[in-house]
Amino acid sequence: MKTLSLYQPGRSIIHKIDPVTKLLFIILAIFVPIIIGTWGAALLTLLISLSFILIGRVFKKVLPILGFSSIIILSVIIIQGLFYVNNKAPLFTLGPVTVYREGFYYALNIALRIYNILVAVSILVLTTKPSDLIEALVRKGFSPRIGYIFSSVLQIIPQMMSTVDTISDAQRSRGLETEGRLSARIKAFFPLIGPVVMNSLISTRERAMALEVRAFNSKRKKTFLHEEVKTGYSRFLQFILLAILLAAIVWRVLS
Amino acid sequence: MNKIKVKNLHFTYSGGQEVLTGLNLHFDDRSTAIIGQNGAGKTTFVKLLKGLLKPIQGDVWIKGFNTKEHTVASLARHIGLVFQNPNDQIFKSRVIDEVMFGPLNIGQVEQEAKKNAVNALDMVGLSGQAEENPYDLSLSDRKLVSIASIVAMNTDILIFDEPTIAQDFCGREKIKKIISHLRKEGKLIITIIHDMDFVAETFERTIVFHRGMVLLDGEPREVFSQEQELREAYLEQPHVTRLAKKLGIKETLLTAEELIDYVKKPG
Amino acid sequence: MKRLVVEDLKYRYPLSQELALNDISFAVEKGEFIGIVGPNGAGKSTLCQAITGLAPNFLKGAYGGRVLVDGMEVAKEEIAEIATHVGIVFQNPFTQIAGSKLTVFEEVAFGLENLGIPRYEMKKRIEEALELLDIAALRDRNPFDLSGGQMQRLAIAGIIAMKPEIIVLDEPTSQLDPQGSEEVFQAVQNLSREGMTVLMVEHKIEKIAAYADKVLLLCAGKLIDFERPPKVFSREDLEDYGIAPPVFTRVCKKLNIKTADGLYPVTLKEAYDKVVKILE
Ligand SMILES: Nc1ncnc2c1ncn2[C@@H]1O[C@H](COP(=O)(O)OP(=O)(O)OP(=O)(O)O)[C@@H](O)[C@H]1O
Ligand SMILES: Nc1ncnc2c1ncn2[C@@H]1O[C@H](COP(=O)(O)OP(=O)(O)OP(=O)(O)O)[C@@H](O)[C@H]1O
Ligand SMILES: [Mg+2]
Ligand SMILES: [Mg+2]
Repeated sequence: MKTLSLYQPGRSIIHKIDPVTKLLFIILAIFVPIIIGTWGAALLTLLISLSFILIGRVFKKVLPILGFSSIIILSVIIIQGLFYVNNKAPLFTLGPVTVYREGFYYALNIALRIYNILVAVSILVLTTKPSDLIEALVRKGFSPRIGYIFSSVLQIIPQMMSTVDTISDAQRSRGLETEGRLSARIKAFFPLIGPVVMNSLISTRERAMALEVRAFNSKRKKTFLHEEVKTGYSRFLQFILLAILLAAIVWRVLS
Repeated sequence: MNKIKVKNLHFTYSGGQEVLTGLNLHFDDRSTAIIGQNGAGKTTFVKLLKGLLKPIQGDVWIKGFNTKEHTVASLARHIGLVFQNPNDQIFKSRVIDEVMFGPLNIGQVEQEAKKNAVNALDMVGLSGQAEENPYDLSLSDRKLVSIASIVAMNTDILIFDEPTIAQDFCGREKIKKIISHLRKEGKLIITIIHDMDFVAETFERTIVFHRGMVLLDGEPREVFSQEQELREAYLEQPHVTRLAKKLGIKETLLTAEELIDYVKKPG
Repeated sequence: MKRLVVEDLKYRYPLSQELALNDISFAVEKGEFIGIVGPNGAGKSTLCQAITGLAPNFLKGAYGGRVLVDGMEVAKEEIAEIATHVGIVFQNPFTQIAGSKLTVFEEVAFGLENLGIPRYEMKKRIEEALELLDIAALRDRNPFDLSGGQMQRLAIAGIIAMKPEIIVLDEPTSQLDPQGSEEVFQAVQNLSREGMTVLMVEHKIEKIAAYADKVLLLCAGKLIDFERPPKVFSREDLEDYGIAPPVFTRVCKKLNIKTADGLYPVTLKEAYDKVVKILE
C-alpha cells in the first residue's frame, strides 16, 4: 500500500487557505447553483472552481477524476436522452434511435452538478493535508470522530486505489494476466472488485483499532504538532462566502 | 545451470535515493539466504526478480527470460514469491481458493491444482483450515497460507520474503523442512531472513546486502566468520558461533550439534 | 500496589467455541520486564488485547475475570482512556499506522497530540524516539513507503514516545535486523529500569532469557508458568508446551551442565562460564 492521500504538496495561495474555508466553499458550490437554479449560475460556479484548481497547480490531478466520472455521466446522458419519462421533443435522430430534448437537458443539468461537486471537493482534497483537515475541525470544537469521518471519506478513493494496486500485484504474481491488451485489463478488473471491498472493510476496522490505542478518542484536550496557520484573510473569505450564500437565498425568495 | 542472472542492476523508487546500486549476481541451484539491514534493499531486489518492479538500468533474466520483456503473469510459471506481509498477498475468502488461485492461472487443470493445493496445505499443516476465511486466521497461519499458495504453483524458483515472521519453534522447523524438501526436488530457493541461526542451519549460500550492494557472498560458514563485515551490515553471528568464539574456539561453529561434538571430542 | 493485576481472566472470541484465555491470573510490579512466550495460537496476542481493553471493548465476545491497571478495571473504561496509561505495539506493524499523517515525524506526533502534550515537549519526545529506533533519517518519508522493518521501528517509536506506564509489545522485533532487535531489547530494558512496566511477546527465546525479569509461559489459553527465565527454561516438560529452550540451554543440557541452583544456564554468559571450565 502506498500514500493514502491525493494531497499534492505545493505553495500556491490555494494551499494556504485554511480547510474550513475550503469546506465552506464546497457547500457553496453545491447549493448556490441549486438555489439560483439557472444554467449560468452552475456554469459560472464550475468555472470559478476550475480556476482555483488552476491556481493551485493541481489541474493534472483532477483530469483522471473527471475522466473517470465522465464515463458514468455520459451513460447517464444517453439513458436519459433516450428514456427520460418527460421526453417529448426530439433533439436529433441517429439511425433508429431518437434522442429527446427534455431528457438530454435534464441529464446535462445533472452532469453539471456532479462536475461542480467533484471539482469543488477536489480543491479541498488535492490541496489540503488530511491531517490538517482533521485538526482544523477539532480546533473548531468538533469531536475528533467527526474529523476522522470526514478525512476517511476523503481517503476512500486513494485507499481503494492503493488496495487495487496491492491486489493486482498479488494476482499477477500468481499468473493472472493484467497487463497488455485492453481486453486483458478489463477481464482482470472484475476479480478485483470483491477483494478490494473486503480489504477496505477490514482495513477500516484495523485503522479504527490503531486510532483507539493511540488515544485518538480520549477526552483530554488535544495539542497540535504544527501551529495553526492563521491566514489573516480566512475570516474575511469565510464572511464573503457566507454573504454570497445569503444573497442567493434572498434572491431566490424575492424573485 | 544459472536459473537467475542479474547484471548491473540499478533501482530507485520515484523521487527517492538509489536503492540498488549496480548488482551483479548469478543464482544456481544452491539454496540461498539473503540477509542484511532493514532498508538494505532485499525486498526491492526480489520484487525485481519477480518482475513486479522493472530495472531502471541493467537486466534481470529468469531462466533466460528478460523481465523487461515479459509480463509478471507470464513469468509466474517460473518464479514464485511469498510476500513479506501476508495481508498484501491474500485476497480470497476461502483458504483453499487462495491456494488454488496460482496453480489454476498458470495452466494447471482443476484436479491437478486441487491436488497441489491440498499437498501444500498439508505441508504447512493447515489441512484442517482449508474451508476457513484467511482473515479469521492468526498472522502466523496467514503467513503459512501465503507460503502454501506459492508452493502449490510448483515453480522452478521460489522466493520467501521473511517466511518465519510470527512463527513459533514448530513453525520454523516446518519451514526449514519445506525448504530442504523443495531443494531436493531441484528447485532454487531464495529466502530473505533476519534469523541468523536459521540461516546457519539451513542454507548452502548466504548473500549479505548492504546499502544496495552485495557485501559478502559465500557459504554460511565463510560468511559468518567475517565478524567485522557482519557488524558493518548490522548483522550478528549465530548464537552458537558467538559462544564458540568467546570460548576461544578457532573454527567457526554454526550449530548446537557442532559445538557439543567439539566439546565432547577428547583432547 | 501492583501496577498490573490480572484475575481469573477468561475470554472467548465471538463465534468461537474454545476459550482463547482460560483462567489467567498474575500480577506485575512497576518497572518489571515480563517476557511472554508460547506457541502459535497460545493466546499471547489475545492476552495483550485484554490488557489494553481491546478485548472486550472492541473485540466483543465472552469475558470473565478482571484486568486492573493501577487499580482501574479496564473492561469498564473506554479504550482511549486506557490508552493514556497502557501502550500497545501490534503484531503486524502495518496495522498500527494512523493513516492520516504524511510523514514519519507526524506519525509519531499523532499519539502525543491526542495526549495533549505541549508542542516543545512533543518535539523533544519525537526526536528521542526516532533516535532510539534509528529512523531519524526517515523523518520526512511517507509512513506507507517504508520497508517492513522500518515500519516496525516506526510503530514502536509511536508508542514509546507516548511514555505509557505499561507498554505491551506483540513480537516487536519480528522484522528487525539482528542489531536492530538487540537495540530494541536494550532500549526496552532501559525503559523498564526507569519505571515503565514492560510486557513483551517474543519467539526470540535467547533474547527473552537475557533481558526479561520474568517469563510468562502460555499454552492453549492457560498460564503454565510465571517465573525467572532460568526456572522456566529449565523445565523438563518445556517442549510439551511448544517451546524450545534457548540454544545455550540445549547445549548445556546435552553436556549435562547445571548451575549451582540445579537449573541450566540460559544466556550466553552463563553458558560460557560453565563450558569454559570443561574446555580447560
Ligand atoms: N514504495 C516505496 N517508495 C519509496 N521508497 C521505498 C518504497 N519501498 C521501499 N522503499 C525504500 O527503499 C529502501 C529499501 O527497501 P526494501 O523494502 O527493499 O528493504 P528491505 O531490505 O527489504 O528491508 P526490511 O528488512 O526492513 O524488510 C528502504 O529505504 C525503503 O524505505
Ligand atoms: N478474531 C478471532 N476470532 C476467533 N478466534 C480467534 C481470533 N483471533 C484469534 N483467535 C483464536 O484464539 C486463539 C489465540 O490466538 P492468539 O492470536 O492470541 O494467539 P497467539 O499466541 O498470539 O499466536 P501467534 O504466535 O500465532 O501470534 C487461537 O486459537 C486463535 O485461532
Ligand atoms: Mg523487506
Ligand atoms: Mg500473536
